[in-house]
Amino acid sequence: MRRILLLSLLVVALLLSLFEVRRQGRGARPEAPAALSVAKVLGGAPAAGFSRALTPRTFSFPADHGPHHGFRNEWWYFTGNLQSADGHRFGYQLTFFRVALAPGKVERASHWAANEVYMAHFAVTDVGGQRFRFAERFSREALGLAGAGGQPLTVWLENWSARETASSPWSMKLTAAGKGMAIDLDLTSLTAPILNGEHGLSRKSATPGNASYYYSIPRMKSTGTLRSGNRSYQVSGLSWLDREWSTSALEAGQAGWDWLALQLADGRDLMFYRMRRRDGSADPSSSGTLVTRGGGVLHLTREQVRMEVLQWWTSPHGSRYPARWRVTVPSQGIDLEVVPRLADQELATSFRYWEGAVESRGAGGSPSGSGYLEMTGY
Amino acid sequence: MILWLSGLRNVLRHPLITLLAVIGVALGVAVVCAVDVANQAAERSFLGAAKTVAGKATHQVVGGPRGLPEDLYRDLRVAGVIPASAPVVSGPAVFPGRGGRTLQLVGIDPFAEPPLRSFSSHFSESSALTTLLTRPGAILLLPATARELGLKPGDRVAVQADGVRDLVVAGYLEAPDELSRLALASVAVADIATAQETLGMVGRLTRIDLVVPEGKGGEATLRTIASRLPPEAAVIPAGARAGALEKMTRAFRLNLTALSLLALVVGMFLIYNTMTFSVIRRRRLIGMLRALGVGRRELFAMICVEALLIGAVGTAIGLFCGNAVGAVLAKLVARTINDLYFSVEVASLPLLPGTLVKSAVLGVVATLAATLPAALEATGAPPRAALSRSALETRHARLLPVAIAAGILLLLAGAAILSRPEWGIPGGFAGLFAVIVGYALVVPGFMVLMARLLRPVMGLLWGGIGRMAARGVAVSLSRTGVATSALVVAVAAGIGVGIMVGGFRLTVQSWLESWLQADVYVRSADNSGGRIRPPLDPGLVERLRKIPGISGYAITRRSQVEGEDGFTEIMAIELPRSTFVRYPFKEGNPAEAWKGFLDGGGVVVSEPYANRHHLPVGGRVSLRTRLGIRSFPVSGIVYDYGSDTGIVMMGRPAYLACFGDPSVDGMSFYAAPGGSTAQVAEAIRERGGGSRIAIISNRELKDATMAIFDRTFAITGVLRVVILVVAFVGVLSALMAMQVERARELAVLRAIGLTPGQLWGVVCGETALIGLTAGLLSLPLGIIEALILVFVVNLRSFGWTMQFHADPVYLGEAVLLSLAAALLAGIYPSARIAGTSPGLALKEDE
Repeated sequence: MRRILLLSLLVVALLLSLFEVRRQGRGARPEAPAALSVAKVLGGAPAAGFSRALTPRTFSFPADHGPHHGFRNEWWYFTGNLQSADGHRFGYQLTFFRVALAPGKVERASHWAANEVYMAHFAVTDVGGQRFRFAERFSREALGLAGAGGQPLTVWLENWSARETASSPWSMKLTAAGKGMAIDLDLTSLTAPILNGEHGLSRKSATPGNASYYYSIPRMKSTGTLRSGNRSYQVSGLSWLDREWSTSALEAGQAGWDWLALQLADGRDLMFYRMRRRDGSADPSSSGTLVTRGGGVLHLTREQVRMEVLQWWTSPHGSRYPARWRVTVPSQGIDLEVVPRLADQELATSFRYWEGAVESRGAGGSPSGSGYLEMTGY
Repeated sequence: MILWLSGLRNVLRHPLITLLAVIGVALGVAVVCAVDVANQAAERSFLGAAKTVAGKATHQVVGGPRGLPEDLYRDLRVAGVIPASAPVVSGPAVFPGRGGRTLQLVGIDPFAEPPLRSFSSHFSESSALTTLLTRPGAILLLPATARELGLKPGDRVAVQADGVRDLVVAGYLEAPDELSRLALASVAVADIATAQETLGMVGRLTRIDLVVPEGKGGEATLRTIASRLPPEAAVIPAGARAGALEKMTRAFRLNLTALSLLALVVGMFLIYNTMTFSVIRRRRLIGMLRALGVGRRELFAMICVEALLIGAVGTAIGLFCGNAVGAVLAKLVARTINDLYFSVEVASLPLLPGTLVKSAVLGVVATLAATLPAALEATGAPPRAALSRSALETRHARLLPVAIAAGILLLLAGAAILSRPEWGIPGGFAGLFAVIVGYALVVPGFMVLMARLLRPVMGLLWGGIGRMAARGVAVSLSRTGVATSALVVAVAAGIGVGIMVGGFRLTVQSWLESWLQADVYVRSADNSGGRIRPPLDPGLVERLRKIPGISGYAITRRSQVEGEDGFTEIMAIELPRSTFVRYPFKEGNPAEAWKGFLDGGGVVVSEPYANRHHLPVGGRVSLRTRLGIRSFPVSGIVYDYGSDTGIVMMGRPAYLACFGDPSVDGMSFYAAPGGSTAQVAEAIRERGGGSRIAIISNRELKDATMAIFDRTFAITGVLRVVILVVAFVGVLSALMAMQVERARELAVLRAIGLTPGQLWGVVCGETALIGLTAGLLSLPLGIIEALILVFVVNLRSFGWTMQFHADPVYLGEAVLLSLAAALLAGIYPSARIAGTSPGLALKEDE
């Protein structure tokens, strides 16, 4: 659900970026674009002609791993913590966003004709090398430049891709390369897809249809190679896949959100997002999911989870992000201090946000863990 | 102090003479400045256009006339060979309902653009981008262009490119700066899909722009790209295009500069004349001052400061006028470049510092340089000699043989320089200027001769007055010599340029007779006059092939193949043998050349192409085709005045095989025996099926071509007029000043009994004699200049053979002009002297 916001932001940011941001080359730190106010970018009614997430639906895999063209927005969001044999720690993010500019495809003579656009973000955090690298790409869904679909599934934008390699357990191969970074990873699901929200329907407000379909695969065993700078590493670790599609408008009064996904040492997985209102309070739509060792799913509400900022960090672009959190789920015996593995994991892309690898230290018998944190609207 | 006051009084007491001196300087500076402004505006505009369009691209992948396969782009991107690249599909599109205006339709992929260009990702509204992508036919225009076409966002407009199609204005483009605004004025930006569909380029790209980093990594990337290219494609540095554009127009602009220098030479003579005269006039005063004890150096400084002041004021006025005239010239230059080379929008740009400095230095330095000899002479002479006018005249008379000798030497040097073809265009102009200056030096000698020869004649006609006038010219050589030389140089320049253009026009006319043989021509309704036309609707072409009442037809396609050394223009034709053999062949046997022409056994190249590439018949032309680099034997060289870069003519079947471009941009029809042009035109109209095409008769096409020719040379015509005006005003001022200065001498004549009428006779007789002499002397120089321009400069610049035709009109005009200027110059001083009492005039002395 938090990603609905992100995506809607990104749709607009994409458009804005094309006439606001001019960048030379990819992956280079661009000039800081005029800070996009989240509230300014949000808003606007959803376009007519798209499908809406109104009621819970029956998910069917592997079909639902593929694209849902009737909806305006959709993404495949891979994040993970990896480690090489010699102890080098890394984080990575590879995300494919699908954005429909208009409902339905018009038959046209040109192969360039497209009503969908893909955006992808790729980032590698080199914890030991203290380097964070990121890159952004756009392309229309045409001519084979970008797209999603097929059996087995492929999601790609130029030479960044996620390809299905096995259906059971569902496995993907991730390939991406940018300036000073590359990954070639094999991901194998360790759990079945987990449906977030109400059987996969993730509501964002009281308005019907202001919701998304949202599932996750919290644990995917990951092995392969990762390049940071000039060095390649054999790495292994755990990845997290988030999948969400919707045609959503956004509520006024929200400033941004903080999203957290942690694989805990005791085998449980925690996902929680806090919708931040402008006054700093958490929106009632904030929620999360706790996956038990056996694969049981527990829905978490705003009241069950506490997120507290312990320390702040100011980015080179002037944004001030929380740099240390205390996250507690008292009913589940979870009390964690969440610390970024690297302070600067800010993506100065068309839409600026912080997304990076974190570790969590348990206190008072709580299990520790590692995962990814996303913070927007700062 | 008193010295300076005397200088000031001199200026104030003779406002007219001072004014004339200032005008002389101003005119010279104005001409140079104007041409420079025009040239710079044109150059900056097309370089700016090339830059705006290429953006930050370092290289471009280009293909043949049909561009590149689009899959190539996808493969390069998906293989991750180069991330910073952007595809472009572009071509001309005519807006028939909007005055036939042609815009360049540029199709882009906005998502690939940001690393390359700023204009294409600069939209005033973000919704415009969505519309551009999702709405078929959506285009963006600059607000100014939209206004010009009478369009606003949301409006539909029919355009003709590959058939007629409706486009819709989705929004406005925003130009980030002035140069981009210029470059985008004739551009419609569309999504690449719309551009492909509108231009009939589905599946094809015009080019791919690349940003490749410098260094080893970049070179490796380029090699990888090159290894993946199909045969018709090549990677060229982006600078090559701007360079090629620059090279294409270099000869043209060099010629303009040379013409402006010609005007400057005329202007220099005028300045020299003015300043020399201003010193000579005051020799008496200088002598007196020297006798009173004023130092040489002080006097010299005074004269120089005075010259500087006159130079500065004249330069300032000249810059002001030059800038204004330059704006007008810039438009003419743009039109010529448009007709001859490529589309370019030129707006007058703010005066560049370079132009400013150049013109200013020229004005002030030339003025100072022109003053120096006279100032040195006057201050250097012993006071007694300075007081005496006759001493000066004697010295001048003594110098005459030296001047003549120097002149002859220069003439010979000029001839020697001109005989070296390897010295190119600069050599041509150097020779030309040597000849002009040499001739100018000889002029005073001729004048003395003329005056002597004419004295008896004038005596016979007007008695003593006539003889006096004739003597006056010869004995006051210090005043008349330089003035006459200036007049000769100026008038001759007018003659030379006039004859050159006139001859060229005749040449083109007779060439058109053999080049355009068909009765009716069909092409797209495009008024831009650009070289590469939008193609005709393929269906229409098929229908027109079968119209009744014709004995034959020809179809043509002009296209360009881009390479590192610029564009090669290819003209693909399918035509009857009878037409081919009647083409104006310069070399080669038409009947022989015909064999194998259609299937590519040989190509025919135009004269400029052959000259530029040093190709004889039997030589080979290499072209990058879709079959790889192919070389074709040259089977003939034809005269062609359409392009100075030259064209390669190729049979249509061979063209199709080599380039796979089936489009047609022109058709021509021959009426069957007994049939009429009108019947053929009617049949075409019937079969046209409402297509927006232009149906043009042979006569109309010839007239239209000549109109383009005249337009092309409008700039030359304007410069010629400017030179003539400079000459006219210059001579007017020089002669008038001379006569005004003679007030005392004339008063003496009056005092000894000359009636006002007789005085008129003396003054006007003398100026008329100078005018006539100059007019006559300018004829040979004018013809020589024309010969040099036609057979040396133009041949070397453009590679065109031209007929030489010394039209008597230009010659008569020249003599009349100089006579008129001279007579006019006599009127004011005559009237002034005649109207004052001799006593008063005698007192009026410095």
